[in-house]
This record gives sequence, C-alpha cells and structure tokens, in this order.
Amino acid sequence: MERKQNAQPPVVEIDHVSKRFAKVLANHEVSITLHRGEVVALLGENGAGKSTIMNILYGIYHMTSGEIRVDGVKQNITTPRDAMALGISMIQQHFSLVGAHTVTENIILGNVRGKIDYAAEEKKVQELSDRYQFGVDAKAKVGDLPVGMQQKVEIMKALYRNTRILIMDEPTAVLMPQEIDTLMEFIRSFVAQGNSVFFITHKMREVMQVADRIVIMRNGEVSGTVSKAEVQMADLARLMIGHDLEVLSRSEHDEKKEAVRLKVDHVTVERKNELPLLKDLNFEIHAGEIMGVAGVSGNGQDSLCELLYGALTPTSGTITLDGKDITHLNVAQHIALGVGYCASDRHRYGMVADMSLSENMMLKSSYLHRWDKGGWISWKSVDRYTRDKISQYSIKAPDAGVTIGSLSGGNQQKAVVAREVDMGQNFVIFDQPTRGLDLGAINYVHKTILGEREAGKSILLVSTELSEVFTLSDRIAVICEGKFMGIFRNGELTTEQIGMLMAGVPIEELPERENNAEEGGAADGLKGGQT
Amino acid sequence: MNKRGEFGRLIFWTVLAIFLGLLICYLFLPLMGVSPSLAFTTMVTGVFSDKFTMGNILIKTTPLILTGLAFSFTYKANLYNIGAQGQFYVGCMGAVAVSLRLAEKIPGPLVLILACAAAMAGGALTGFIIGFLKAKAGANEFLVSMMSTYVVIYLLQYSLGSWLQEDKHEYLKTNSIKKAVWLPKIIDGTSVSLGIVIAVIAAIVVWLILYRTTLGYRVRVTGQNIHAARLSGINPVREYMIAFAISGAIAGLAGFTEINGMQHMLLTDFESSIGSYGIGIAIMASANPIGVIFAALLFGFLQVGGTVLSHSTDAPASVIDLMLGFVMLFVLMSFFFRRRSELRAMKKQALTKEV
Amino acid sequence: MQSIINLLTRAVFMSTPLILGALGEVVSERSGMMVCAVEGIFLGGAWGGFAGAYLSGGNLLVGFLSAMIVGLLVALLYGFTTIYMGQHQIVMGTAVAILMTGFCTFFYRVIFGTPTSPLKVSTLKKLPLGPLAKIPVIGQIVFSQNIITYIAWILVPLISYFIFRTANGLTLRSCGENPEAVDVAGINVRRVRILAVGFAGILGGVAGAYYSLCNVGMYTSEIISGRGWIAFGICFLGNWNPVGVLIYGVIFGICDALGNYVKALGTSVLPNELFSALPYLLVIIMTALRRSFNVPAKLGTNYIKEE
Repeated sequence: MERKQNAQPPVVEIDHVSKRFAKVLANHEVSITLHRGEVVALLGENGAGKSTIMNILYGIYHMTSGEIRVDGVKQNITTPRDAMALGISMIQQHFSLVGAHTVTENIILGNVRGKIDYAAEEKKVQELSDRYQFGVDAKAKVGDLPVGMQQKVEIMKALYRNTRILIMDEPTAVLMPQEIDTLMEFIRSFVAQGNSVFFITHKMREVMQVADRIVIMRNGEVSGTVSKAEVQMADLARLMIGHDLEVLSRSEHDEKKEAVRLKVDHVTVERKNELPLLKDLNFEIHAGEIMGVAGVSGNGQDSLCELLYGALTPTSGTITLDGKDITHLNVAQHIALGVGYCASDRHRYGMVADMSLSENMMLKSSYLHRWDKGGWISWKSVDRYTRDKISQYSIKAPDAGVTIGSLSGGNQQKAVVAREVDMGQNFVIFDQPTRGLDLGAINYVHKTILGEREAGKSILLVSTELSEVFTLSDRIAVICEGKFMGIFRNGELTTEQIGMLMAGVPIEELPERENNAEEGGAADGLKGGQT
Repeated sequence: MNKRGEFGRLIFWTVLAIFLGLLICYLFLPLMGVSPSLAFTTMVTGVFSDKFTMGNILIKTTPLILTGLAFSFTYKANLYNIGAQGQFYVGCMGAVAVSLRLAEKIPGPLVLILACAAAMAGGALTGFIIGFLKAKAGANEFLVSMMSTYVVIYLLQYSLGSWLQEDKHEYLKTNSIKKAVWLPKIIDGTSVSLGIVIAVIAAIVVWLILYRTTLGYRVRVTGQNIHAARLSGINPVREYMIAFAISGAIAGLAGFTEINGMQHMLLTDFESSIGSYGIGIAIMASANPIGVIFAALLFGFLQVGGTVLSHSTDAPASVIDLMLGFVMLFVLMSFFFRRRSELRAMKKQALTKEV
Repeated sequence: MQSIINLLTRAVFMSTPLILGALGEVVSERSGMMVCAVEGIFLGGAWGGFAGAYLSGGNLLVGFLSAMIVGLLVALLYGFTTIYMGQHQIVMGTAVAILMTGFCTFFYRVIFGTPTSPLKVSTLKKLPLGPLAKIPVIGQIVFSQNIITYIAWILVPLISYFIFRTANGLTLRSCGENPEAVDVAGINVRRVRILAVGFAGILGGVAGAYYSLCNVGMYTSEIISGRGWIAFGICFLGNWNPVGVLIYGVIFGICDALGNYVKALGTSVLPNELFSALPYLLVIIMTALRRSFNVPAKLGTNYIKEE
C-alpha cells in the first residue's frame, strides 16, 4: 500500500489528551496519529484506556486536557454529531443497535428528516448491503439477526454516513474465526479506498494481521508505537503487560483411573415451538478432570451451564452427580450438593454490586444454615470467613465491609471464584472465568482452576478464548447451536480444525485430521500466557 | 471514600434541602397576608409551648413511621408498594371489627392482641394479593397497588354503610370502640398512646429482619440483583410475595395503632394522606428503617406546625401539603447535589493506581 | 334504548380526558420516560384551567391555554429532576403529586379566598357536527360531543403517524429502546425525552382541565381522584399504541358512565360502590390478565453517562 504521510497532515492527530473520571485517570497525555489509508491498531489489556480515548475522539466523552486535530485543523468535538460531520464513525464494542427495530430503521436513525419513505430507504440500505456483499436483509428485525450480522449492520451505519475514519472497538470478540477473516478483508479494502481505521483489540494475532501501525496502551498511557514490519509478537506482549508472564504447567491426566462424577445422558432442552437450546448431550466428567467447552458465544454455552446448575430443566435425558440423579433438582438443591458456578457475566449473575464483600460471600449459602441459626445471621462468622478468603486469594480490598462493586474487576472475580470454589466441593462450572480481566488476574484464576483439578474436583470450563481452553482442559468439547460437535483429548485437533467445528462443519468433513496434533495446544495468541 | 464524610454530607444536604423547602413555602405566605417571620415563630412557639401539641407530633408520627416502613420494605426488594393507604384501611377495618365485636366478650388486652393480629393479617392479605399478581401474572405492581387503594376506599365506604355502620345508620362511620380496648396512654397530659412505641419497635424489627436475618437478606438480594438471586437458589417470585405481605402487614399495623390508639372509630376519608406521605418519608430516609423514624418525626412536626399555623393565622391548612411537597422535592434534588459534590471530592483526591 | 344511547354518549364524553392523558403518556413512554407525575399534572390542569377561565370571565379558551401551561410546567419540573438530575421516576412522581395537592389548594385559596358557595364557570358546549349529528344513534353518541373530544380523536392518527412514520418518531422510539444507540447516532437523548415529557404535560393539562371545564364547571381538590393514574394504566393496556389507547379509553369511559348511571338509578342489586370501583378494578384485572406487552425496553430507566 502506498501512503503519502509526509505530503499532507495526518487525518487525525490526538495530541496529549488526558481524561479524568471521578475514580480513575482513564487517559494520561495520550498522543496518537492516523494517516490516510492507514489502519492503526490500539492494543492493550482491558482497562488500558483504549476505548476511552476513542470515545473522546467520537465525542461521547469529553477530554480533561489536550487537543484533537482533524486534517491539521484543531477541532472541538463535543458530541458524536460533531464527529460524524468530520467523517468519523465508531462501532462500539457492545453494539448500539435497537433490537426491536428493523435494519433500515437502525441505519437511518439520526440521518433522516421529516416523513420516512420506508420503501425508498429500504431500497437504499439493501443496495448498500449488496454492494459490499454483506447479505443483510434491510427489512429484518435486528434482534433476530446473529451477532455477526449485527456487526455488519453497524458497519453499514458507518458506510451510510460516508465515513472516512472508522473506529472499531474489539470488533472480533463476537465473531467466528471465518467471520474474522471476512472482516479483515473488508477493513483492507475500506482503507484501500483512501479511508482510515482505528482498530481496538487486546489480541495480538489480529494486530499482526490487519494493522499498519500499532499503538500499545497500558494503564491509560501509550507505552509504545511500532510499525508492524518492525515488531515481533513477544515484544508486543512485553509492551502490553510491562513484564513477562509466568508459564502455567498442567500435569497429565488419565481419566480412566478416576471415577466418573458427572454424567449427562441424552439430555435435550427445548421450549415449545422453538429450536432446542441443547440437543442430545452425552458426556461424563471424571474426578480431577477439566472438560473445556469451546464455541462461539451464544451457541448454548449459557444454557449448558444453567442446565448443570439446575436453573434449566431438561426436556428429556438424565443427569447424575456421584451416582445421584440430579436431573430435576433446582438451583438451591444443586448448591446443597456441592456444585459451584462462576457465571460468565459476574455483574449480572455472580454478585450484588452494592452489597458488601461479606454479603456477597454468603450469596449462595443463604439456605444452607452455614451462617445462621434459625434464620438469624451471624455476621461475625461471615466477616471472619471473608477476611480469610481476602488473604487466601490476595483480594485487594480494605476490609470485608466494602461494597464489592467498589473493587476492580479482577478482584471482584477473585472473590466470586473464591466463593464458587468453596461452594463447589464436588463439581465447579466456570463460564468465561477470565472475561474482561487483566493478564495478572487471568493467570491467578487459571492457577486456581488447575489447583481445584488437583484437589480432585470435576470441572467444566466454558470459554470463547480458544487459548484458555487449550491451556487448562484435559478434554475439549466443541459446541455449536446447542449440540456437541465432538469431544476430543486436548491436543488431538488444531486450532483451525476446532474453528471449523465451532462453525458447524461436521467432524467427517474436516480436512487432514491426524497430522497436526502437536500444534494444537499452543496455536493461539497470548491469553494463556504461553507466548 | 470515608464513611464519616459521606454521613456528614448526607446531613448537610438534607438539612439544607429541608430549610430551602420551608423557606420557599414561607415566601408564599405573604400572599395570604401572613408574614413569614410571624409564621415561623407561630409554628415553633405554637408547637413547643404546650405539652399537648407536642404530643400531637408523636401521634401524627405514629402511622407515618409505619407507612414509611411499608414502602421501605418493598423498596428493598425493588418493588413499589404505592398501596399502603389501602392496606392501612383494610387494617383499620380488621382492628375496628375485632374491637367492636369482641370488646365485652373477652378481656381487653386479649382483644387488643387480636385486633392487632387482624389488622396486620388484613394488610398482609391485601399486600399479598398485589405481590401474587406481580409474581404469578407479571402484573405491574406499581399500577396494581396504586389502583388497589381506590378499590379499598370504595370497599371501606361500602362497609361503613353496611356491616360496620354505627347503630343509628346515619353516618358513614362505625360506633366508638369501648374504652377497655383502647391502647393505653403513655404520657400524661397528652393523647399519646402506646402506638408510638409499637411503631418504633416495628422500625427496629424491620431493620433486624432486613439486615440480620436470611429472610431479609434474600429480599435485599432479590431487590438489588434479581438474576444473581435466581442463580443463588433464591426464588424471586416467592420473595416478591413475602415482601409485599410483610409490607402490607406493617401498613395494616398502622390501622391498629390509629383505631385503638387514637381515633377509636373508623370513618370515611380517614387519614387519607398517610400512604403518600409514607412514600415521601421512606424516600427521605433512603428506605433505612431507622431513618424512617426521623423523617416521620419531621413530617409529624410539619403537620402539627401547619395545623397550628392555619388555626392562629390566615394561612390555609393546605400549607401543610405545600410544605411537605416542597421539602420532599428539595430533599430529592439534594440527592443529586450530594452525589455531585461526592464526585467532585473524588476527583480532587489523589489517585491510587489499581492493580 | 334512549338510556343506552345516553349512557354511551356519556361514556364517550368521559373517555376524552383519559384518551388525551394516555396519548401524552404514550409519546413520553415511547421515549423511555414514564410520566409518574401524571396525577399531579391532571390536578394542575384542572386547577389552572379553572383559574384561567374564571379570571377571564368564563373564557374557556384562556382556561385551556392556562391548563396547558400549568401542565407543561409541572411536567418540566418532573422531567428536569428525573432526566437531568437522575432522580427515580416513580419516587419523583409521588413527590410532585403531593406538592401539587398542596399547591393547587393553597393557590385556589390565595386567588379565590373562601367563597360561601362554590365558584362555577359554564361548561364547554357540545358541538354537533352538522348533518353528521343527525345520523340516528351514532349522531348523538359520536358527533354531538365537544371540540376537545374531536381533537382527542384527531390526535390518535396524528400521533400514530408521528411515532411510526416520521424521523423524529423513529428517534423517539429508539430513545425508549436503546438510548445509547441514539446517543451514538449524535442525537441528544435527554432533549428528546424532555420534549416528550413536556408534550405529555400539555396533553395532561388539557385532560385535567376537561374535568373542571367540561364536566363540572368548578374546581375541587378531589376532582381528579386517580383519573391520572387510570390514564397511565390505559397507556400500558393500550400497548403503547395510540389506537390501543383509544379503545381502552372508551372502555374506561363506559365504566365511568356506568358508575354514574347506576348511582342515578339508586336501586341496584349490587352496591353502588362496586360500580364506582369498577375502573380501578378493571385496571388491576386487565394488567394481571394481559401478557407480552411490547414494553419499551428502557422504560423508566434514566439515561446517565459517567463523566
């Protein structure tokens, strides 16, 4: 690609911009430039300040100090409208779509006046979709579309407004490997037309795939700017984290020696007149074994976890734990049997943000009479227990009485993990246990999970990060549309093969199944700390 | 953030809000030919000059504590029980019916206990129905509880014209209940009955239930995060019904303290604002049961003070609602300013890096 | 037969303020804002309408205009404290209701003193629509109403059109479904919401004045007694749709008229109070029976951005 960096001023210059929120300094003296026809990747861990600086450029947040220039001219961008007028669009990580409205309605929101001629607008939107071969139906209801399609709707929103500077915040998080490739192709062709892209991500592999230049952010500051040609992945990791990561080790496991603890036998979950949530699941988990479940998010993982936790009742089939039939037991009964569950969305399912750490520690045991006599709670013993966990898991909290919501994400998750590991004396379900955590916390959680495995517990690990599944699992199940595509020993398949299974390609149609076995475990990026 | 700074801010902003609310109200008084300063002195001296009037504050406070608690309890479950007024009336009917029918048949104290039980049961049942409709039919509890009050008002009117009507069948009211079933007076020279003690005990009990028992814990978890509750083995549907039944019982208890402690009969339009005042009280106290006692005292004082004002000057009785309305409005707005000043204080604080 | 026609005429008459109030509520709730101050707005409208009409020597136009202004102001107070100051909508609605109770009674006294007999203005006249009014049955029931009723009916398709067919309507609906999407599209969510609430205030003011200027020709502090909340309920039952509001408005109008009718008859197997309680009971029963509302996803949630 040809770039005329020196002939004209950069399209965007972010010049020593700082942003202070009430509790955190989100950006400190951040300077980034973007040229015409260039993809600049913003790489960094969660909470490094990548999204904040881009939201400032897009007018959602307002900077505390600094300056932004577009085409060399100083701009005061106070609302997204200002940004749009300059040709800037941003696709938020959590899409800004109205699920109840149609694709067309979503795209024209804010771009039309007066009476809406639906037929004409739908035609325009359809043409746009066809031109880029997105295959989006202009009349479809957005809420009914799969996430990959929803992202295309977001992109179409930007294209509809004649965007020349596109900001994408973690666009690949929700995509299947194949969809990621399509997205990358789109980005390359988009900049080839003289446009520019900011690409926010925490995955190094993608950066190497798509970016021209890479800006690495850490703790709200730019810790380095490199061009792709000059850099190795290992350097990126060090710039991102600030130090090298400890490598985890996992002892080999022979499941034949260990007893079967959890047995799921021909279990299907479906609601009347709907596609089944889970289809004919058959598997066992042994003592001291981690079974990983790989899959693109939204393929029944949540249902699977809820099923095994009693929050969902199977339509047919049986589930036994240590020989006891638990098929029709409810959540409280599962808890009483020693099942733990770290839900993927801890804010929604795993904690009560405005309650104290102690109160959160007894969340799952309010019926167990562990802390109460006849319903009368002894907060003294809960507090003592909480303080023990605080020191055992090195949770950074002033005392047991602070609200859990005031802790950082990593410490919240440690507290939740501490509780669930304790509640799950026999079987623990981890659903995306490291989502949104920084690398240090991820490492800690991984160590804890492996520790529980050593202690002889059965563990189900659901993750959309393939690297995580590879790092921790003894066996790996691939889930797609509520069905297991197969269960394999870790290392039996490559990343690519697993990716195809995740996309729903049946096992029989996989190319070259045997040969690549040894690659499997270490194929993906850095999340497992194996870089 | 230190807790003491937070509490200091709370007091500062609340007092300022009350002051501004009253000030605005006083500024309207010249329209009625009453000078604000005279109004202020009249109110303060009028209320605090004799024991009887001061006692009236406690009398007014009694049911307000209970309706305030009723709203607070459901509020903790993230539910809106706007129908405390109706539950109060059902409680009144229960208390007065038991007191009238059983007064001479069994000993007074026993009647009192039964009347109290009937009032609470009646209120609880009314509340439970709302909770049940919310939990089982997915009805909007805010709308249903709001409407339930109007339904109960007509039920009350009907009852006062039929099975509860006084012997002469002239007015829409009941006979007076016998002195034997009155709640005893506790302060000489006033009409203050045991009711105030019952209300304060109720506040303490509600606090204990909420913060010291698993039942209250589960109600609070449900209120703050229903999804987490569900995945913790807590059944939100059950908690909704429990919360509404308890809330109704507390409002019903106010019926008992009012009938047996104060009015000694039931009539139409009886204490027709304590339901909505209860909401205001609960909000001012941020639904803290102990805070409710103090907020109710403020409302009680304003009510008595307003009455004194309207008796000794040209100010109309509606000045009470005006004062309460403005005080509530300003207290609510003070939440915003308090939050903003907290944020400012946070921004000034040196940052500690989180790891 | 004539008595049934009279009953239905009365039903249509009584449904008008409920429809007006509920239409305002629909517009506002589509933007995500419940107007919980509706009872206070109705009361303010009844009071302001009466005061304006009486002081202008019985000029009802002045009356309705002042009702609109009072309704708007109350709504703006509510909107400002909820939208811009982030206060809880239900809680704020209650506060406004208490304030308006005191305010209207106090200022009625300030303006009119304590008259020995209640002050009255002549109520709004019926406006038979020429030949249409001569159609048997329908003519009397539908085409011999007052102008406010006709306006309420015209508003139903107008508001439908606005909500579902115009760009601003799309923005309005999006604010109720996903305010972030609207914000990201460069539209000021708070401004949309306060405008919607203000509109609800204007309609609510007229609705309140309908009771004082069209129904009884005077003002009392009990004049609304929960009618605002019924309009609120009609918005829910009508599925946030103007046409639904029209249908439920008429149903509740019939309820209202039936209560008066039974009272006037004086003899009935069932107690009068049951009929008086009917509208309220109906709301309870219907909200319990109805399922799968298309509730705006963010209804009642304030839109707050961290800064």
